[in-house]
Formats: sequence, C-alpha cells, structure tokens
Amino acid sequence: MKLKRTIHQVFAIAKTDFLGIARNKTAIFFTLLFPLFFLIIIGFTFGTQGTGESSRIHVGTVNFDGKMIVVNGTVSKNSTIGDAFVQALKDANFTVYEYSTYGDKDTDGTAAYDISRGQIKIAIVIPANFTEALSYQYTDSLGTPIPTKAHLDLYTDPSDPTGSIIVQQSIFGFISVFIDSYQEIVISQIPEDSRDYAKVLADPITVSISEADVSGRQLRWIDYMVPGTLGLVLLWSGLNHASVAIASERTKGTFQRMIIAPVSPITVLAGKFISCLAIVYLSAVIMLASGILIFQVNLYWNLPAIALSIFLGGLSAIGLGLIISSLAKNEEAANSIAVLISVPLQFFIGAFFPLSIMPEPAQIFGEALPFTKLVYAMQDIMTKNLPFEAVMPEILYMTISGLILFVLGIIAYWLSIKRL
Amino acid sequence: MNLNDIEVNSITRRFEDTVAVDNVSMNVARGELFGLLGPNGAGKSTLTKMLCGMINPTSGTIKVGGYNIQDYPMKVKELLGVVPQDIVLYDYMNARENLTFFGKLYGLSGGKLRNRIEELLKFTQLDEKAVKRHISTYSGGMKRRINIAAALLHEPQVILLDEPTAGLDPKNKLALWEMIRTLNKEGKTIMLTTHMMDEAEELCNQVAIMDKGKIIALGSPRQLTKKVKMENIITILPDKITSKLMEATQKIAGVKSSYRAYDENEKIETLKIITERAEDILPDIVSAISSVGTKILSVELSRVTLEDVFILLTGRSLREEEEPL
Repeated sequence: MKLKRTIHQVFAIAKTDFLGIARNKTAIFFTLLFPLFFLIIIGFTFGTQGTGESSRIHVGTVNFDGKMIVVNGTVSKNSTIGDAFVQALKDANFTVYEYSTYGDKDTDGTAAYDISRGQIKIAIVIPANFTEALSYQYTDSLGTPIPTKAHLDLYTDPSDPTGSIIVQQSIFGFISVFIDSYQEIVISQIPEDSRDYAKVLADPITVSISEADVSGRQLRWIDYMVPGTLGLVLLWSGLNHASVAIASERTKGTFQRMIIAPVSPITVLAGKFISCLAIVYLSAVIMLASGILIFQVNLYWNLPAIALSIFLGGLSAIGLGLIISSLAKNEEAANSIAVLISVPLQFFIGAFFPLSIMPEPAQIFGEALPFTKLVYAMQDIMTKNLPFEAVMPEILYMTISGLILFVLGIIAYWLSIKRL
Repeated sequence: MNLNDIEVNSITRRFEDTVAVDNVSMNVARGELFGLLGPNGAGKSTLTKMLCGMINPTSGTIKVGGYNIQDYPMKVKELLGVVPQDIVLYDYMNARENLTFFGKLYGLSGGKLRNRIEELLKFTQLDEKAVKRHISTYSGGMKRRINIAAALLHEPQVILLDEPTAGLDPKNKLALWEMIRTLNKEGKTIMLTTHMMDEAEELCNQVAIMDKGKIIALGSPRQLTKKVKMENIITILPDKITSKLMEATQKIAGVKSSYRAYDENEKIETLKIITERAEDILPDIVSAISSVGTKILSVELSRVTLEDVFILLTGRSLREEEEPL
C-alpha cells in the first residue's frame, strides 16, 4: 500500500516536471531541440566530408606556360603541359578559376584578390617554362638534355589554416597523380629494357593509402557525428534540465509545498530523476531520428547497449545537474551555471571535432569526461558495429563516474533541504 | 475535555547566534480559528515552518493532533493542510491538473481523488471554463482560491494559512473570509498568520501576538483589548503635532496613554488618546489642545483595536512587510 502510494507520488512528480518542458516552447528548444540545431548546422557544413567531393574546393590557376621565354638561345612559346595540367584539374572536378596574373590583394580580378576575399582557397602559379622543362627542351651545346625541374608555386589562405590544410592535401594528391601520368608517358619513350629501372628510379617508394574497413560501409563525417551527438544530448537535455529541476521548484515554492506534504525527499528526487531521464531518452530519439531522416545516416542498432550507455552517461549528467540545482541560489543562477559548464564542454567531448586535433591538456581534459566516453561508446557501437565487450572500458568509466556524481548530487540535495 | 489540535511546548529555535523563536508555548483547541499576529522578524514564519515540519526546533516539542511532529512527521503532515502566502501552483497546468498533482502527493487516487477535486472546485466557485485554463491566466483571487483548495484535498483536520488574503481586493478578501469561516464551521482547526488586524478581529476566536520570538499576548480579541483595560480610543487630527501638544494631552486626568500614529491609507499623522471614559474627558482634551495653539481638524471616537494593543505592548506598528512561509 505504502509502496503503491510512493510510486504514484514519484510518477506524479515526474509527469508534472515533464509537462513543465512540454508546455514551454523556450524550454523545448533549449532542452530538446538545441542539440538538433547544432547537428543540422554542423552536419550540413562538414557532414558530407569523406565522400571525396572536390567540387567544393575552389582553385585558382595562373598559367604563364605559353608565354614567350628564351630556351637554349631561342624564343619558345609552348603551353601544352600547362594547359593539360589546368584541364586535368577541371577533369578532377575541382572548381577552377583562371587568372592572367597572381596580383595582390587590392587588385580586383587577380588571384591574390580572390584569395583575400575567400573566393578561392588556393592559387597555383604555373611558370612560363613548365612545358619546356618537362619536355626536356633545355640542352647543352652538344644537344644533350639538361635535367630541369618544373616548379609550381602554391598560395593558400592563411586566415583559414584548417581549410588550407584540407585544400593542400587535395592539391598534393592531384599533383601526385599528375606526376604519375607524366612519368608513364616519359618512361614509355625510353628503351624497353630500361623502363623498369627508370620506374623504380622515378618512384623508389610507393605508398598506398586505403581506409580500413571499420564499419563495413563507406563512412562520412556525419556517420560518426550523429551517434556522437548523444553526448550533446547529455549536456543539453540531461545536465541543463537537471540543473533547474530542483532550483526552479524551490524558486516557485512548489518544492517547499512538496516537502510539507507526506512525501519523502527521496520520492521527490526519484520523480525528478525519472523525468530527467525521460527527457534525455526523448532527446536522443529525436537526434537519431533526425540523423536518419535529414542526413540518411546508416547506423547499427544494438538497442540494449545504446540504452544502457545513455542511462550511465545520464547518471553523470543528472548527478552534476543535481549538484548545480541544489547549490544554486535560485533557478536563474542554476541555469547560468549549467550553460557556463555545458557550452564549453560540448567542444571537448569529441562529438563534432576529434580530440586528437586538440592540444594535449585539452585532450586529457576531454578524455576524463564521462560524456566523451558515451560519444566513443556510441560511435563504436552504432557506426563501427563493435560488440558490447569492446566498449566495456567506456561502460565501466561511465558507471563509476555516474555513481560518484550522482551520490554527490544526493548529498548536495540533502544540504539544500536543510537550507530551506 | 478540551482537545488540543496544536500543542506547542517550550519551543526554541536558534539560527547560529539568533534566537528566532524563544521558549514559546501555546495550544490551539480543536475547531478553533486561531490568529498568529506579529511584525516581520517576530518569529511567526519560523514557528509555522516548525509546525509543518519544514525545520526542527532546537528544543521543545510540538504536537499536532496528539502526534509529536519529530516522532511522527508523516502522520502530522497528513493531518495538516498548509496554505502558503505565495501562490504555489504550477502555472502551466490548469486547476484540475494542479489539484490532481497535489492530491497524489497526499496519497489520493482514482475516483476518490476525482470526487474530491470536483467538491473543491465547487467550493472555490470556479466555473468549468476557468477550470480548464492554465493557472497563468487566472486572476489573483482565483489563484488564491485554488491555492487554498490544494491544501484541502486530503481533508486535513488542521489548516495553516499564511497571510491568506495578502494582496487581494476587498471583494475577493470577503469571499476568502467566507471560505475560511465555512471550513471552521465544518470543524476544522485553523491557524492563520496575518498582520491585518481587521482580519484577525473578524475571523479569529483566539489570537497570539508575537514579538522578538516570544508570545507577548494570548487570548480572544476581546480579552486582549480588555487586558490592557482600555475600552476607547480618541483619534484627533490636529493641524500640527508638537511635543507641547503631546505633554498637554498626557497631563489630562483620565488619559491612560497618548501617541502619534501614521495612517497609511489617508497619509496623515494623527494623535491617539486611550482612555476608559472618552465622553467625560473629551472637553478637557479639546481645551488642552487649544491652549497650546493647535487647531483640531477632526475628532473620532472608536474602540481599542488589536493594532492599538500591539502598539501599547511593543511601542511599534504591526503593519510591516511580512516574510512569506
């Protein structure tokens, strides 16, 4: 009888708390939809990377090849290989802008001007002797070819270091393929018995890079990002809501009214916990469903493992939220503290950007967060289809940190009751 | 045998160096409508918080319905219906949803809860249209009626009301007084804290006046006014109040006491003279005032109120901002 009554009380508190979100448009946005907002913005910005779409890369070419130069004392004007290089760039699906001069940032119509305005990300300057050098037209007095290297100048945008690195990688890859094709042609012109020797000489080391089969599918950034955003769910739906759950009741006076009813403080806590957990799961479902519908992500569904991981991660988020909610003076203060914690944390949990690109102290900090462990576990389970055993270290970490934070949350909650 | 629903025995509550409630003892008999009066900081809120189990006393015991609150906190909470001064309701829910929630906290469910909610909605005189609207759309009076109804769901024997009519217009105030009287007629024991003297005099059959953590007077409103042995008060509005005027009035034979009082509603300062035989000494008062060169603008004769009793006992006014429960 007493148990039945307690269960009724717990669910009445949980339902009332949940309605507080469901009937408040601002709360719905910040608690349930804000992580989705992030996913959509970042998903559309970076999400399709990994599919090799080079058309997104805008390249400027300044092709001086074909301009008159003096070679071996005679005037030469040959643009064959320079033109082939530009055409090959276009064939490789780069978006190519052609300029007659590199210029400077203040002269409209030049490559430097467009780099400074973000119109192109890289400019390639092809020298006037590009064809002559690559076709062995430099000779000595006896007519023997003088080996002469062709030199390309690349100019990148220093104001966008990350973007520049990605563009450089693509252009280096393209140049490497172009050189391979050139070598094939040149080597085909030397005596057959020397060709293999020449090939080794030209390319003493060959490297092939392949993506390891970690998932059984071709993966894009978004395929990692969607499971990773469950970490955001913990921060925005779990931590933020739990942070105001008790503080808002205390500010309104409803908490005091619950305490003077024949309801134990643990019953109130249980009701709040169930509501917070329901909001976390609801937000997770919204995120995953949106990933599937908007970005067509293909995920693996080990539901028990996913549900357990979210629960354990949720324990940390709600525990931390409970500490904030209990110690904060009022709802407004609790909300501010929660935002102050969750906004920076979302960049350290590996949901959007891998921790490996961060400085070492940031990596250590990020690795210590239970939310990061949820991101790792979800990516391993949902993207790589790894078995549950593979994420046991993350599960254990989340269990321990979740219990510690939740117990601290309960202690803070008791202290807050004494302060009433 | 006179059964007490509230028994407070030598209660003291300290907050570090401050004694908020100092060795207070009082009883509230079953069916009584008891008023607890006092200014801000008198200790009323602390005493009420101890009565409803929100905080524990440093020493002493409190019994509600015969149960010691420290030994049987849940039992006492079931006997008590507490109406806080502030509107403590969920404004995103309607009246029925709010009452359902608070009913479930008190262990009600199913048909019993539904029936009780309908009874209380009738009692609050809210129409069906209003009942379906969110509390945020209610007027102050409507909110206050639901605020009270939320404390009555479990049919408590003892009801604690903290400033139940604060901020209400006269019409809503009278309606709430009627609700309180009805509850009392049904046999409920009611204790209300208020700083409105007219409210206490109108509703309560027993009153305790608290000041600086102690009960300085206890009894019926009539007993309290008699206790200071003064029946009448003469309120004079002079053109100016000077020390000479105060001295002159105090020297008149038959004047027990005289003091300056500020009327907040009229924004005027008056001279109050307390006496047992107002009619006899009124001519002497008029001539004494004229003798110091002061003109009389108006004279009013009335009975001593609880406000006057409090001022006489403490030298201070009761009308101060109250701290909500």
